[in-house]
Formats: sequence, structure tokens, C-alpha cells
Amino acid sequence: MRSLSLILIPVAILMASATILYPNFAKRTLQLAIKPGVYELAAGEQTKLWKEFLEKWKKDYNLSGEWTISPDEELPEASVGFIEIQGRYITAAKINQISQENPELILEPKNRLIPTWIEEKLRGGKSLAIKLGLDLQGGMRVVLKGDFEDYQSKLRDIYAKELRELETQILNPITSPEEKKKLQDRKSEIESNFELTPIRKMAELEKAKMIIDNRLTGQNLTEPQVRIQKEQDAIEVSLPGVSNSSAILEILQNTETVEYRLEEPSPFAYRSRIEDSERSLMNQGRRDDTDIVKFQNLIKAKMGKKAQNQFINDLENKYKIPPEYKLYAVWGRGTGPKSQLLPRSFTVLERKIALSGNDMTNAQPNFNSNSYGWIVSFTLTPAGADKFFELTSANRGRNLSIIWGEKVISSPVINDPIAGGRAEISGSFSQEEAIRLANVISEGALPIPLNVLEMRFIGPTLGIESIEVGIRAVIIGFLFVMVYMLVYYRLGGMIADFSLVANILILAALLSLMDFTLTLPGFAGIILTVGMAVDANVIIYERIREELEDGRAIGLAVTNGFQNAFYTILDANITTLIAGVLMIRLGNGPIKGFAITLCWGIITTLFTSLFLSRLFVELLVNRFGLKSLKLKPFFLLEKKHA
Amino acid sequence: MPRFPYTKYKAFTLSFSLFLILAGYVKTFAVHGGFANSLDFNGGLRLVIELPIGKGRPEIETFFLENKIEAVTLLLEKQKNIYQVDIGLGSIPKIEELFNSKSPGDKGASTIDRLVTLVVQQFQIPREKVLSADQVGAVVGGELTETGITLLISTLLIILGYLSYRSAFKFALASAIALVHDILFTLAMIGFFQIKPSVPIIAALLTLLGYSINDKIVVFDRIRENAHGKDNLSLSNIINISISQTLGRTINTSITTLISIIAIVIGGAIELYDFAYVLIFGVVVGTYSSIFIAAPIALIYDDWRRKSA
Repeated sequence: MRSLSLILIPVAILMASATILYPNFAKRTLQLAIKPGVYELAAGEQTKLWKEFLEKWKKDYNLSGEWTISPDEELPEASVGFIEIQGRYITAAKINQISQENPELILEPKNRLIPTWIEEKLRGGKSLAIKLGLDLQGGMRVVLKGDFEDYQSKLRDIYAKELRELETQILNPITSPEEKKKLQDRKSEIESNFELTPIRKMAELEKAKMIIDNRLTGQNLTEPQVRIQKEQDAIEVSLPGVSNSSAILEILQNTETVEYRLEEPSPFAYRSRIEDSERSLMNQGRRDDTDIVKFQNLIKAKMGKKAQNQFINDLENKYKIPPEYKLYAVWGRGTGPKSQLLPRSFTVLERKIALSGNDMTNAQPNFNSNSYGWIVSFTLTPAGADKFFELTSANRGRNLSIIWGEKVISSPVINDPIAGGRAEISGSFSQEEAIRLANVISEGALPIPLNVLEMRFIGPTLGIESIEVGIRAVIIGFLFVMVYMLVYYRLGGMIADFSLVANILILAALLSLMDFTLTLPGFAGIILTVGMAVDANVIIYERIREELEDGRAIGLAVTNGFQNAFYTILDANITTLIAGVLMIRLGNGPIKGFAITLCWGIITTLFTSLFLSRLFVELLVNRFGLKSLKLKPFFLLEKKHA
Repeated sequence: MPRFPYTKYKAFTLSFSLFLILAGYVKTFAVHGGFANSLDFNGGLRLVIELPIGKGRPEIETFFLENKIEAVTLLLEKQKNIYQVDIGLGSIPKIEELFNSKSPGDKGASTIDRLVTLVVQQFQIPREKVLSADQVGAVVGGELTETGITLLISTLLIILGYLSYRSAFKFALASAIALVHDILFTLAMIGFFQIKPSVPIIAALLTLLGYSINDKIVVFDRIRENAHGKDNLSLSNIINISISQTLGRTINTSITTLISIIAIVIGGAIELYDFAYVLIFGVVVGTYSSIFIAAPIALIYDDWRRKSA
């Protein structure tokens, strides 16, 4: 006998699902930030920009006329600084479109979609609405051009020392002719590295493409499209609507690397030069004139990479650092709880890279409970492990610095040679920094710097017409399936229909909780889920009907029917689930998108068909004393059953 | 209960499938020289153009069709009448040919420039209305084929293991072979009709895989249940009884699954047609193979084991 109170479980789950889905249908408010620069323009310019925007608003953005905009006549006051838009179904792609088509007016990073109360409570304001993929809602397309000049100059940097040594040796009269030839060969080999043939460029672009792919997957953006544009040496990245495209761009263009460099040998002649000069300034009470404070101020003012590099270059000249060494800043946090990560002192390292990021893989952020700090542990590749062992045995007692994106984060002393391929980096990281560092090590650095060539909004890649028609078709098809079940299994069909709707509701809620981006393959996974859910119900009712036809009493028929169907449904779903999990682990892009919806769909299907449907049928039969269950359409009923 | 002798025609159904699959691949490779090229898999030329109001898809399609250039047209933005045209690498000679016939002697420019010139002339639009034109690489690379094969083999192994554990090896083997049959058959059909492989087609193949697994397990679960403790009945008898018993379910499930997919075709979502066709075909083949491929194979294997034992 089933207890009536069991019904509270599905009711609670359904209510939770509906609440989670609420932001999709709710009326939302969007604030589009106005660029501060706009208010500094002449009055005529301002009105012109604003009038153009309003024109586009009426013609392109607000087609249905269901959204409201305020203010709708004059440019908003400078003290307000934003335009407010209200309406339903405001998508991330729409926000991208408006921002990217009005770059002179709108400051994209400051746009804000006001969170609904449920998002505020559950997620601290992060969006809960279901995101649609590039194929279904469109998004933005960025073309990133590889900067091969910068790439070349970096390469020269790496080989600078070796080349110089080779040259001096070649010019040296003591060197024998055979030796000279060997050296000459080595020299031309290095120089051939600087030559960028189209094939080389292609290979580097391919590498960059792979890294970008990985980075985007790490950002939970399902199925971005990344292609290489041969003619322009560029990589084209198409992304589904993202709420903040500048943040994504920063991630894409990030060229940070992780590498090890040896510190200058004791007694640190160059470093002490700097330290002496800084100390004497401090003693004179001129703290603001020390180079480190100047450098800190430069960082705080967010002057950008170029200014920082210039500053370091000037310092190298000032302290006369020889070319085989390079000046770096050691970054760290102060003692305060919210102290910023800033340069704290200067150090001088060998220009030659001792161990590069390519020698490390598989990094993971860990929390070290001894030191109460985050560390990053990683594995060395076999070649890297050999190099590391050689390096640590040859340089005992010296300091080995770890540099992450031009920042020295720690400089431990080499006590003993380190063999075995695992190592860890500790420093004063926050959790996010540890995760980022681990990602940089695992994914590798971009081989070439990338510049934005073009950025524009694109419509859905499946075509607008098809999506409109397709969505309507799927809904109509779904309704047909429900009617079919209703006609065929009558009361049973009604329960099946109800559990089907519940299934989709719960699945949608789960997907939006997971920040899943729905694409056509994902949608296909849902279609398969619906098919399998219908199948589960069909199997159950066919079994119950067989039991009834064998003359069993209704209560027993229902119990037997569910029992017989149980293992069939479980077997079918579990096998598909295993295949789905395999697809998630092995596949990428479209395969993964499909498999994620399928796997969660199987879980919700098992719940709704084996628990929910059963609960309803058993309650109807046992609690409410349902006498007969007609599980055949009227036109197939035989006389004796009718 | 009507009892149709499903397994009686096993020689016919097995050779029928084999023949169609072979015919499919023969036509694919002998006549077409392989699967169709597509932008997703092979890369190609991509144009994004803004057409004046009044011109649209029909004009673009007629132009490329008349000149035998294979192009896929997509409406990107309705309000601005912006279209995306994808052209496979195979059509490059046709573009060159057409360009040379229109302006002979003009050399130097790249194929893309020539294509742009042709389009600008044809639709009489200013050059800046060609919003972008470039040669683009593949979205899904060669690794996909590799992943696909790994995936298929691991899925098959798991099904073999799980079903052997849950029922019997003969049923597991039969299901796995039928699954391979479904995939090969659908791929043969994709090659035969030169459907362009794309991301939606991958999705359709995966859906078919899931659907087919589900269908086979439902049928074989019934066979296992009926075979339990009935050693006096012949396996072919049990199989026929089981298929009859699950027939109602088989029909209902395939009809309901097909309804939503057919709705896409009737509704007229042109760009989703290939996706829908492959799915419809896959559902039909998946249902057919449970009854006419998997069941006979289980039977043949059983006979063989008995004889060799």
C-alpha cells in the first residue's frame, strides 16, 4: 500500500524545477551602460549617436515591440549612465548584438541584466536562464590575427645567448675547421627556426586553435566554433551569446606562460646593486621614488603590458644588467587579509629558460592544509623530468625561480637533485589564481600572440527560418505524441503524458542549474530522451495489459506489470547511459553536448517513469479504488473486455 | 495472438541488408568518389553577403546551381537580408572556369577575390555589401573519425559485457552486430545520397545509436525472460513469441518517435532536412534490425554452438 504522503516528493521536485525555470519566462530588466566618453562629446555629436541608436532600436532590436526602453527620447543623464530595457526573453546574444553594433555608445563590460529574486537567492546574482548555442540563437564572431612578428622576436630572445656564443666560437681562431663547420650548421639550424614558412605558420595556428578550443571548453561554453582562416593567418572564433564578451576575449588572447629560470649565482651582484640603491632612497625617506613603488603605481594605474615592459627595460639599462640576464619583479601579497597581488621586489634571472611550460602537464590546484594556502601540483613529461633532474643536480644551492606571465611567484633553493616526475608550486595564491595557473600549465601557452581583427554579431548558424519552423514542428510533434498516448492508453496515457511533461521540466531545470548551453545536438539528446521516456511508459502499459488479459486482478496486474517492466527499462536505460558517459569522456563539441542532455535525460526518465508513473497508477488503483484500467484504444477493444 | 514466423526468412533479410549496404558503399566510392564534402569537415570558401530587399535565397541558389557550383545558403539575419554562402573546396575549378569565361585574361587575384567579383557582378551590389569572404578550415577535424571509431568500439564492448552479464552471450553478440549494421547502413545511405556530413548529422547518428541500443535491449529482455526455464521450446519459437509480444510496443514507440521528426520535414525547416532524413532512416533501420537482423543472428549463433558442441 502506497502512502499518499509520498506524492509530496514529486510535488516538491516539480515546484523546485518550475522556480529554477522562472527566470526564462520572467520580465527582465537590462541596463546598458553608456560610455563615459560620450558625455565629453559635443552636444551635436551626442544627439547624433543617440538618435542613431534609437533608430536601430525601433528597426532592428525591438521588432516585436514588446520591450520598453527608458529613457526613450533624450540621452540618459550622465549621473545615471545607463539605458534601461524591460521585457521578456532578453537573450545574451541580443545583448551582444546591441553592444557590438553600437561600440561608440555602449560600454560592454558594465552592462547588467538585473537578476531575478531566485537568481539572487540561489546563485548570488549569476544567471539561471537556459543558454542557447551558436546554432540556435547566434552570438559573436571574432577573428584573431596571429602576430608573427612578436613571435619571431620572442624566438630570438630564447636563442640569443646560444647564438652569441656560437658566433664568438666561430670567430675564435683556435676552433678547428671541422668544429667550425659543426658550429656553423648549428647556427643555421637555429636561424632556420626564425624563418616562418607558410607551413610553420599553419602549424602554429593549429596549435593555437587547439589551445583556444580547450580554454573555451574550460569556460563551460558548449560548442564554440573555432576555424583557421588561411589567407589572413587568423583564427576565427564563433561563440554563442555570452554575457561579457570582453572577459572572454581576455581569456582567448591570454599568452601567459609558466617557466623556470635560474637566479643569478651567489653573491647576487646585480640584485644587490638594485637593493642598495633602493635602500638608500628609503633611508632618505623618499619611498615614493623607489623603483618598486613606481612599478606598483604603474600596475595600479592599469597602464597595460607595454608600459610595464618599457619600465623593466629602462631599469635593466639603469642598472646595467648584461644581456644574458633579465630583470624580473617578484610578486606577492602583503600581510593584510585583502592585500593585492603586487610586485614586491626585483630579482635578476638568467635569460635562458631552464624548464618551459611545454615540459609540464596535468596540473591540479590543491589546498595545502599545512600551510593553509593553495598550491599547484603538476607532472613533468618524460623529457621534462630528465631535464629537471639534470638541472637540479648541476645547480645545487642556487635559486630556481618560477615565472608565471612575467611574474616571479617563488624562488625556492635547490637542496637536492629532484628525480621522479612530480613537482609542485607554492606561492601566495588565491583559489582562483591556483586554478588559473593550473590551467595555464595543463593547456599550454598560446604559441603566438593574437590580435582582434574583427568582431561582429552573427545570427543563428542554423538559419532563422529553420529554427522558427523547427521549434514549432517539435512542439506540434510533441503534442501529437501526447494525443497519441492519450487515445491509445486512455487514463494510462494521461499519466504518461503528465510524467513526460514532468520529465522535461526537471531536465530543463537541471540543465539550467548546470549552466548548460543547448545546441542542436543537445536538442537531439532531448528528442531521444522523450522517445525513451515514451518507450518506458509504453513498455509498462503493455505489460500491465498483458497481465490484465491473463485475467489477473487489477491491483496485482499493476504490481506485476511494473515489476516485469522494471528490469527491461533499467537495462535499456543503463546501457544507453554507459554509452552516454563514454561519449562525454571521449567526445568533444557536438558529441559531448548530445551526451550530456542524454545522460541527464535518462536519469530524469528513470525517475519519472519508474517512480512517478508508478506512484500515480498505484495510488489510483489502491487508494482511490479504480476498478478497471482500459489500456487499449476504443477501436482495438475486444468485446469481452469492453 | 498472431504468431508470425519472423526468423523464417533470415537468409533473405540478412542478405537483403548486406546487399543494400554494399550497394550503398559501391555507389559512394565508385560513383561519387567518397562521402560528400562539407564545410564542417573539409573547410571551404565562405561568403557573407547583404542582398538588396527583394532578392534572397532563390536568386542565390539559382545562380550557383546554374554554374554547377555546390553551395549551401543560410539566412543569417532576416531584417537586413544577410546570407551566408558556403562553398566546398571541390567547386574551386568551377569558380575559376566561370571567372575566366566572364573576364578572360584577368589573372593574379585569388579564388576568393574572383568569387567576390562574380557575386558582385551577378547581384549588382557594391563591394562593401560582401561583409566577409574567406577560406575557412574545418570545424571538426580528422580527430572526429578517430573519436567516433573509438567510441563505437567501446560502446560495443560495453554492450557485449553488460548484456552477457545480464542475459546471455548470444544475445549480446547479436545486439552488437545489429548495432554495427545500423551504423553501417545509415552511413551507406549518407554516402549513397551524398548527404553533406555536418554537426547535425553527427547528432542524428548518435541519436540513432541510442535509439537502436534501447530497441534491441527491450526485445532481447523479452526473449531472455521467455527463454528462462523453457529448455524444451526451440529458440526460434521463443524468439518469434517474444517478437510478437513486444510488437505492440515496437510499433507504438517507433510511431511516437517518428512523429516529432517528421514534423520537422512537414514544417519545412529546410536547413534541418538532412538531420531529419538521417534520423527517420535511422529509427526505421534500428527497429527493423532488432527483429530481422539481431534475432536471426542470435539463432544462427545458437545453432552453430549446438552443432560444434
